[in-house]
Amino acid sequence: MLRSPAGVEDRLVVPEEMDSILAQLEQSGLATWIRESGVLYGYPLILFLHTLGLSTLAGLSTAIDLRLLGIGRAIPLKSLEKTFVLMWTGLALTAATGSLLFISDAQKHASNPAFFLKLFFVLLAVTALALTWTRVFRGPHSGKIVATLSLVCWFGALSAGRLMAYVAEFVL
Amino acid sequence: MNLAHLHLLLNHFPTVGLAIALGLLLASLLKKSEDLQQASFVGFFLLGLVAIPAYLTGSAAQVVLQDQPDVSRQVMAAHQDAALLALILLELTGFAAWIALWRFRRWHPIGILVLAVVTFGLMASAANIGGHIRHPEILAAGTAAPAPGWPRTAAAGAAFVVDNPWVWPIAEVFHFVGLCLLFGVVLLVNLRLLGFIKGVAFADVNRLLPWAMVGLGINIVTGMLFFLASPEQYTQNYAFVWKIALILVAGATLLYPTMCVQAGEGSPDDRAPLLGKVIAAGSICLWIGVIFLGRFLPYLGSE
Repeated sequence: MLRSPAGVEDRLVVPEEMDSILAQLEQSGLATWIRESGVLYGYPLILFLHTLGLSTLAGLSTAIDLRLLGIGRAIPLKSLEKTFVLMWTGLALTAATGSLLFISDAQKHASNPAFFLKLFFVLLAVTALALTWTRVFRGPHSGKIVATLSLVCWFGALSAGRLMAYVAEFVL
Repeated sequence: MNLAHLHLLLNHFPTVGLAIALGLLLASLLKKSEDLQQASFVGFFLLGLVAIPAYLTGSAAQVVLQDQPDVSRQVMAAHQDAALLALILLELTGFAAWIALWRFRRWHPIGILVLAVVTFGLMASAANIGGHIRHPEILAAGTAAPAPGWPRTAAAGAAFVVDNPWVWPIAEVFHFVGLCLLFGVVLLVNLRLLGFIKGVAFADVNRLLPWAMVGLGINIVTGMLFFLASPEQYTQNYAFVWKIALILVAGATLLYPTMCVQAGEGSPDDRAPLLGKVIAAGSICLWIGVIFLGRFLPYLGSE
């Protein structure tokens, strides 16, 4: 369903100084263009790239977690090392496009608890991925715990991300 | 050609195709031919894909026909309910056939035979009721078209989503979860075919493939929930039509890694033939296209 990124009236109370920084971000030329230009290569394209980066990152990470949990255990970990390049690229794309989406509606997102829940889960999931590299691919651990943590965090991040629009609409 | 026209084309595939695939399966059991058996399983899998647009275009045809005085809404509703039941059974048959292809020689075909016979019966009933929508010549003079008392599956599905406000958001979450499972595993398997990932046998990467199918299954179920709740939003949207078309081709490309090696074969240093690399690259592009059209659906398709 089409959801306009434009503002929601009632917001949680944000400290005044913070609020003015957010307002400035939101009124910048770039943010205004993303929000208001209405062209397909604006907001929709950024949203698609955000989804593509996240599906690459979370999808490959999930596949590796499944391997660490014992599915396809004949796959040598060494053969999966090159996927980390793709996952870090996916992370960069997701973070860059996510920042653009954030500034286009900074005050609304900054007052949405689901947004912070999503950031929290993403940070944990990315930490789990970094640990998978250092402790499992480059270390002695089997990675079962970190893989479980990763799966839980990606599920949390996806859920919070998808539910942001509903929280903005019905809760705030 | 509009979607109602497309429905008239597509709606023959599930019934006729099921008869052919069932015939192949029976012949394979009589002749003990593994090739025939594989062909029938491929048939069931592809029919599971084609049946999806056959159902979706039916909803578009219903919108076109519902205000025509000589068309009975009851018969259309009965056709839709029977078709949805048959679709669900055919999806189950298609998934079972895919598992049989994946685990070839370690899967008894009798379960699939039973599923396929039941599916064929339901599909034939659905087709038969559908025939009454526009063909008064097949009725005895003076009789009205029958409106059999099928369980109201389509209306029940729509009501489930519409009456429970939590269903849509939860289905959206799981649609994304399914996408990540499917896309992640599809990327891995195809990157191995392309040679970007090396040092692992094709058959070993293929152990992950069922999780791609789990993702596909989650997305078919959640996608159908969206569609049942709000069919016009989708049938009037050409981005959605293209998305489904891409899913058909992208789904079919899953057959290549499924069938290119059997379990226990191959070495970590194997290289895919050119055809395999072309299909692998195409598969990745097609799934990205599916994500693109899904994301652009609200912006692109509705004019």
